[in-house]
Amino acid sequence: MLIAARNLTKFFELRGGLTGKGAVQAVSDVDVEVREGEIVGVVGESGSGKSTLGRLLLGLIAPTSGEVLFDIPEELLQKYDEARSANDKKTMEEIASKYSITRKSGRELRALRRRMNMMFQDPYSSLNPRWRVEDIIMEPMVSTGYLTGNEARKRVRELLEEVGLPREFAYRYPHELSGGQRQRVALARSISTLPSFLVLDEPTSALDVSAQAQILQLLKRIRERFRIGLLLITHNIAVVSYMSDRIYVMYAGKVVEGGPKTSIISKPQHPYTVALISAVPGNSRGPRVILRGEPPNLVDPPKGCHFHPRCPMVMDNCGWTAKEVAEELEFLLRGRYYGMLKEGSKVVPQGELEILVEGAKAEEVRKVIEEEKEEVKSLRSIYEVREGNGGALVKLMRYDIPGMYRTDEGREVSCLIYRKT
Amino acid sequence: MEYALSVKDLRVSFYTRRGVFKALNGVNLELRRGEVLGVAGESGSGKSTTGLAIMGLLPRNAKVSSGSVLFDGRDLLAPLTSIRKFSTGRNESAIRKLHRELAPIRGKRISMVFQEPMTSLNPVLQVGYQIAETLVIHNPSLLASRKLARVRATREDTTALLKVIKENEGSETAVREFVESRHLKGLEEQALFIWRRNDINELRKERLILDLCCEKVGSTTKRLLESLEGGMGITKAPVLSRLLRRVLFKEGYRKAVEFLSTLGVPNPEKVVQMYPHELSGGMRQRIVIAIALINNPDVVIMDEPTSAVDVTVQAQILELVKDLKRRVNSSFIFISHDLSVLGEVSDRIAIMYGGRVVEVGPKEIVLKAPRHPYTTMLINAIPTLDGREIRGIEGEAPDMRNPPPGCIFNNRCPFAMDKCRKEEPPSYKVSEDHYVACFLQGGK
Repeated sequence: MLIAARNLTKFFELRGGLTGKGAVQAVSDVDVEVREGEIVGVVGESGSGKSTLGRLLLGLIAPTSGEVLFDIPEELLQKYDEARSANDKKTMEEIASKYSITRKSGRELRALRRRMNMMFQDPYSSLNPRWRVEDIIMEPMVSTGYLTGNEARKRVRELLEEVGLPREFAYRYPHELSGGQRQRVALARSISTLPSFLVLDEPTSALDVSAQAQILQLLKRIRERFRIGLLLITHNIAVVSYMSDRIYVMYAGKVVEGGPKTSIISKPQHPYTVALISAVPGNSRGPRVILRGEPPNLVDPPKGCHFHPRCPMVMDNCGWTAKEVAEELEFLLRGRYYGMLKEGSKVVPQGELEILVEGAKAEEVRKVIEEEKEEVKSLRSIYEVREGNGGALVKLMRYDIPGMYRTDEGREVSCLIYRKT
Repeated sequence: MEYALSVKDLRVSFYTRRGVFKALNGVNLELRRGEVLGVAGESGSGKSTTGLAIMGLLPRNAKVSSGSVLFDGRDLLAPLTSIRKFSTGRNESAIRKLHRELAPIRGKRISMVFQEPMTSLNPVLQVGYQIAETLVIHNPSLLASRKLARVRATREDTTALLKVIKENEGSETAVREFVESRHLKGLEEQALFIWRRNDINELRKERLILDLCCEKVGSTTKRLLESLEGGMGITKAPVLSRLLRRVLFKEGYRKAVEFLSTLGVPNPEKVVQMYPHELSGGMRQRIVIAIALINNPDVVIMDEPTSAVDVTVQAQILELVKDLKRRVNSSFIFISHDLSVLGEVSDRIAIMYGGRVVEVGPKEIVLKAPRHPYTTMLINAIPTLDGREIRGIEGEAPDMRNPPPGCIFNNRCPFAMDKCRKEEPPSYKVSEDHYVACFLQGGK
């Protein structure tokens, strides 16, 4: 296995503020794998943690917890996974200490830099405007000690041809190039040390479609020629579906679905993936699913499944908390069932799983819940309503946190619908 | 056929220190009433410049060398085209004149939605204020009559109004007739809005409609509102105008709440009190759309309204645009670099390249059976979900400071002939409603 991440988590601590500390849970508990010469696509909306994931894999930022195992033999990875499910910390530690890039020292990591690299989204800010193309492409070769001076210069010419630019471009400055040409230079730079793993962070998002098509074709050719494992991070599902062998779909810091491209695109299983693919304009397969609302704030992500507040197929145990249900119940009681709630009384969440509807009769509240259950999905998590504390006491079901469930060949879905009981 | 707006042979160039940048080279576009016209093109094709030129939002180094934007029987860009020899000073005064002339049109009859909602909204004003502002500037008499209607109405009036609404099941004409017979113009939209809400129950609705009456205002305010309703502008007298504006903005907030709820904004009463940074990207874009549409404009220009938002939010916005197309009687120009987005919302699509419209026609034909080589190649370059092979367009877009003679696409076109390098191809009609600017389609 070229690179494998296990339980990778990154929380960015928030600073300042009066209310105390918090953290943006950018990536939480993610497993991903990239094999030699494979193109793996990571799709997700902005804020889903896909860029953070790419940077974590390269060791550009340190994870809060979890391991990134680089160049680990297949057997050892299997052993690690077995140890993990058996909760055998010792074996895990043993393997991780040898292969995880998070354990490597500065010098070891620098040696690894030659074998992994990154290509960035914006070709206008990722190339130093005061350097010539030659210097830009040469830099990684020289700084990693891969080649020196004149050898590197010669190699620059070869690389330029490799990415479809004339040799004379070596003497130009970035501002003389168009967006597509700049991105070719960035690609030449990132493959200059013949890495075996390359992270492409939105490589074509800043380009026009005609240039995008050229770069994508070029990337495919480069992969064939040098057998580089590519992690392609993008929000464009069509690009991923054109390029990749396998896909991971991310939502709110978690991988919700992973597997071979063709089967995910033609038969998405996680409700989010279904909605995401149906939202692609011009896509005519199946009915369009329009999601309500927008991705959550990751400082305080929803409990249980992060997707449950927007999920069209949400069930009773997907992660509803008293706060969410109380809000919707109050909205109903103040709107459609106006008059049931007395002036001045409130719907108060008590703890995580209990709500007090002040001054209301349990019988009436029960009726409202029965009637609205179909439409207001959060009410499904209510399993009991009884009199108490001067009002109706509403009790919620305990929620479950979805794990990764294997469905068919190589597919993994993080949704309780696919949990086998 | 009568058009909502038409652009004729528009040529715009920008004078820069590094030469004259020819942004538009003879753009012809017709916008029909009630349609959505999609305008597609890559960066530098002039699609945004076309939108801005229609609004008269050109910088001072822009020269309109020929052409016109015809709207409602007049040429919007007349002050600019009359300049013969370009100079910044002359241009500046012409643009100032243009702004003066267009002020009553912008935001009222032609309005625009920009790409990045964070930069097109004012960060230090509540969104309700920004929506109300367009109303106060362009339509203060509407706000005045809404307010006055509630002042004049008696409990007996609203009771009767409620009865009319109930008997006619919320029919608009019946309510309007009733309101007019009682001289309570402005009350009908408020009552109907309440009636059409579906988040509250009947009892509450009735109560709210009955409460549309018996409001008290000071006698000065009332007099001011009455003069405004009678067609006078907002008074310029120092203290009075402040007083009047305060009342109008308050009424504007009320109308904003009503309008936002029709755009599917949840909890609009709270949203109008918020500042742009408190809202998510999709919500901000809805606010911008609300500002553009609240005055019932004839033409709405949407410049990449979905490019800064995520796919799932984009789907929401597109759904909203489709819904608006059915509901309001505006015509839309929808500018986007993404052909598949245009395929969703437009009736006709125009493809731009190098400051010209190279192909225009009904969306099915342009997307499924394009006739211009550029359109064909552009469609072949777009990756799709089925993972079919894509092909990039070789070469780079021409330098518009020094465009090649003849067809602007000749350096990248696989079918380029000698003629293409000498003459500019005119627009050929290839079938009903379908025009292509390419010699391959005619002109043997």
